[in-house]
Amino acid sequence: MSIITEGRSGQKVLLMGNEAIARGAIEGGVKVCAAYPGNPSSEIIGTLAKIGPELDIYVEWSANEKVALEVAAAASFAGIRGLAAMKQNGLNVASDFLFNLNLTGSIGGLVVVVCDDPGAISSTNEEDTRAYAKIGDLPLLEPSTVQEAKSMIPFAFELSEELGLPCLVRSVTRISHARGSVELDDPVPLSRRPHFNTGRPLVNVPALAFHRKLRAKLHRCRDIFETSEFNEYLGPEQPEALIVASGTPGAYAQETLNLLKAEDRVGIIKLGTTWPLPESFLVRQLRRADVILVAEDVDTFLETNLKALCAQKGRELGIKRFLGRGSGTLPDVGEITPDCLTTAVAEILKISYEARPPEYARTAQEAVSRYAPTRQVGFCAGCPHRAAYWCVKTALALDGRDGFLVGDIGCYSLGFGPSGFEQMKTLHSMGSGAGIAGGMGQLARFGFDQPVMTVCGDSTFYHAALPALFNAIYNQANFLMLILDNSATAMTGFQPHPGTGQNAMGRQAPVVDIEAVCRTLGARIEVADPYDLQGTIEAVNRLLVDEKGVKVLILRQLCALVRANRGEKLYQVRVDQERCLGDGCGCNRLCTRVFRCPGLIWDKEKGRAGIDDAICTGCGVCGEICPQSAILTEEI
Amino acid sequence: MSEKGGLKSLENGVLAKDLCVACGACASLCPYLRSTDGRIVKLHDCDLTEGRCFDYCPRTEVDVAKLHQAVFGRDRRDLDIGSTRRVVGARAIDLELRNRGQTGGVVSTLVSLALEEGSVQAAILTERRADLLPRGRIVRDSREVVTLAGSGYVAGPTLEALNGGSFENEDRIAVVGLPCQITALAKMRVSALDRRTPIDQVVLTIGLFCTWALSYGPFVDFLRKRVGRAEVGKMDITPPPERLLLVTTDSETSRIPLDEIRPFVRSGCDVCLDMTAELADLSVGTVEGRCGWNTVIVRTRAGEEILSRAEAVGAIETESLAEDYLGHLREASRLKKYRALKALEGKGYTDGGYLRLPNRLKRRIMSCGDEGP
Ligand SMILES: Cc1cc2nc3c(=O)[nH]c(=O)nc-3n(C[C@H](O)[C@H](O)[C@H](O)COP(=O)(O)OP(=O)(O)OC[C@H]3O[C@@H](n4cnc5c(N)ncnc54)[C@H](O)[C@@H]3O)c2cc1C
Ligand code: SF4
Ligand code: SF4
Repeated sequence: MSIITEGRSGQKVLLMGNEAIARGAIEGGVKVCAAYPGNPSSEIIGTLAKIGPELDIYVEWSANEKVALEVAAAASFAGIRGLAAMKQNGLNVASDFLFNLNLTGSIGGLVVVVCDDPGAISSTNEEDTRAYAKIGDLPLLEPSTVQEAKSMIPFAFELSEELGLPCLVRSVTRISHARGSVELDDPVPLSRRPHFNTGRPLVNVPALAFHRKLRAKLHRCRDIFETSEFNEYLGPEQPEALIVASGTPGAYAQETLNLLKAEDRVGIIKLGTTWPLPESFLVRQLRRADVILVAEDVDTFLETNLKALCAQKGRELGIKRFLGRGSGTLPDVGEITPDCLTTAVAEILKISYEARPPEYARTAQEAVSRYAPTRQVGFCAGCPHRAAYWCVKTALALDGRDGFLVGDIGCYSLGFGPSGFEQMKTLHSMGSGAGIAGGMGQLARFGFDQPVMTVCGDSTFYHAALPALFNAIYNQANFLMLILDNSATAMTGFQPHPGTGQNAMGRQAPVVDIEAVCRTLGARIEVADPYDLQGTIEAVNRLLVDEKGVKVLILRQLCALVRANRGEKLYQVRVDQERCLGDGCGCNRLCTRVFRCPGLIWDKEKGRAGIDDAICTGCGVCGEICPQSAILTEEI
Repeated sequence: MSEKGGLKSLENGVLAKDLCVACGACASLCPYLRSTDGRIVKLHDCDLTEGRCFDYCPRTEVDVAKLHQAVFGRDRRDLDIGSTRRVVGARAIDLELRNRGQTGGVVSTLVSLALEEGSVQAAILTERRADLLPRGRIVRDSREVVTLAGSGYVAGPTLEALNGGSFENEDRIAVVGLPCQITALAKMRVSALDRRTPIDQVVLTIGLFCTWALSYGPFVDFLRKRVGRAEVGKMDITPPPERLLLVTTDSETSRIPLDEIRPFVRSGCDVCLDMTAELADLSVGTVEGRCGWNTVIVRTRAGEEILSRAEAVGAIETESLAEDYLGHLREASRLKKYRALKALEGKGYTDGGYLRLPNRLKRRIMSCGDEGP
């Protein structure tokens, strides 16, 4: 029971953006929800998974985003409502299906929520997925507030059914992860029995005919958007300038004018439906002023499309002066912040304004650093990945042929940084490590002589590494793949996956056994425990010199956070400060300078290493590293 | 003032320059360096500015006069082969030792005797397993010595065994090593750093003559292509003009011209000054042209004592060496020095590189050039 399931119409509650989207889905009568976890989108399905059984909604964590979209689409094909959620990178994975789905169209309401990450706060890129709407001729909604994030979802379902098209809703980190007051509505009463109409196949051949139909749907969509409540004009009749904004900048724009006391000088066109553009609405509003500042995250999607519109309607609108990211008035990359927006508007209005006086910035920085220790992005205390990378580093050094490791996305991506001893040498998309290793593994014929390793987590293995692995085995590439099996999708918040024996709704599920899969494919397999450094190093070295083919080393050890959450510890670890020689050791603080598990501390007073009991998760690995055997591990 | 440095300097000045001779003096001292397959591998960066690895390495500063002083307590007299008390021919009496020994079995006999009589309690020798990789080995039982007789011309980290060994109950250790290893031992002795290896317990050093040593990995790859997987027994080099490496396996003896082996010589050996282990208590090599006999150079009292006892108990027999043979030995030794200086020059070290030579010695070496090598 929660406010998300129980809340009634008119009630105002505080929700996180992703919870609001989940509530919106419930209000919109969703029946099937599927996703692959990825920040900042994970809590949408996370929230729905918890309440799915209670509300008779089917919720799944899919192996990847393409499958998630296909699962949600299947519900739509059978006439009920489906929702798929993903982060920006996920839409790339799903896009192949999406750009065929747009042609066949959908039946029951189908909503695709994409959470972009402007500023790449928890991502490897800050891709702006709005371009997909344009390429795929699909309707696109962009909430500016948590309230809109909720309200747009039932609307998106309705729209989708009316048009027979999936509807894209684009959230961003600052909405998905923000909290805001949300007024609830009641769920739509829908009681449909899913049924697939065999008389109406969904086949997009001949494509041209379907493309024509799709364009017609898009025109109809534009008409609907002309009167949408999600688009509005706020401001005086004849402002000096206009701000056109979507997403969070839409909310920031009001703050900005408030702050500059410029509400009577500048008008805001806040757009919630950004593709196709509501042209007549826009033409009416754009007449009001000639200076137009476009504020949006991340690309110049609106700006470019507005410029095109103004060119088209040049006779009616005259010549406009466009300012925004394209003109350099707003930053070229990264998030639009209230500060940079305010600075831009102040400049346009020639108001003197200092967003953040340098003096204040300095004092703030000082105050913060006094209380918050500087932290490096890195693995948790006791993380098996740290141990694994330690072994990779050692094994590659011992191997001595300038071997290297290519990787991809997961907790273990941090292997590019100091906590992974800078071992990961390429980092791109899910599963790309295995693909790249497969390519490198073909280069020996041209004289390439470096051993190649790749790494992937268990969740990434199911997501996208499998095809690359098939490919490598089939094409007889030569590399060693490490699968870091920590039995968790740890990076995104411990969602279950096909290897965990549990499904999204907490029910028991069959375990898809990675080892058995690899064995069946015909790879040479070994399994090791990364906490056993020596054993793992030897295994890596052994497999590296094994001349031909794809070798898989599964490094199996439970995620340290999962173990810590269970209140388990393998070892009680302490430093015998008599035995530790401190700076006199010659080890040059191997434990705290090189290995650097956050559980290890340097006791400045005594000039010796120590253990921070509150942080140490008791993996015991540092005991193996100390050359003086001064770190004592006692089995619990 | 001797040069100081840490792992970074070792890495830049020795490892990266391919001057390492895999002696093992820097291994098993810390977790940063490890020896594997005849290579010294840096596992992590160490930012100490002073370290034993750098201090002991025979390819960081070698101040010939200073080391000589430290070991012998006096200045070097013989510029060609270092200080000598006497130079004799010798061989083991025991037939097994003589047969299993690389040349005349003198080294094994002396070590075995020292252990037996207790003048040393442990010896650092070098073993060679089926993989042909030389490894340092601590021997405490005299009967084990004969099993380690013979040598394979491959460089290996023998001294690692000294560094990593635990000698709590032993205060008398013997070490058998190549000239570079004996140099490293001398550098350990004079090191001013606080932490020490068990060097202070080393009471006897037996040096082997050496012209060059081979790089393990590349050489073994070559050898395996040549002789297959068969177990390799004795390896020997025939005297000039033939100059062949004889490799004996169960089935056959392969005769490999030395020219084919040359590419596998460690490039750190090219700049090596020392053919006769000039800083050892006693140095042992072959007598060219007299099969089964060792040349033995006695340099110190410790060396003299063990050799005389071995003679006295009838473990070895000795004979004097002809004057012109000694002349050849000196010439060969001087020639190696000359080649080393030339090689250093060739590698771009205009200041003599790692070597600090007294002018007298330098002139003597360069006189080789006048005569033509
Ligand atoms: C790499 C190398 C190059 C050599 N070059 C020459 C040369 O140019 N001219 C010459 O006269 N003699 C040379 N020798 C020495 C020669 O081969 C004999 O070792 C020496 O004559 C002693 O013979 P022995 O019968 O008394 O030795 P043994 O009684 O057989 O004892 C040999 C001892 O050498 C040790 N040993 C074996 N391999 C190694 C190694 N790689 N590093 C350190 N110690 C080792 C063993 O522990 C053993 O105790 C060389 C030896 C080596 C290892
Ligand atoms: S969450 Fe788990 S897997 Fe990720 S860094 Fe932390 S301990 Fe490691
Ligand atoms: S020569 Fe010896 S001490 Fe120097 S780097 Fe090589 S193994 Fe280490």
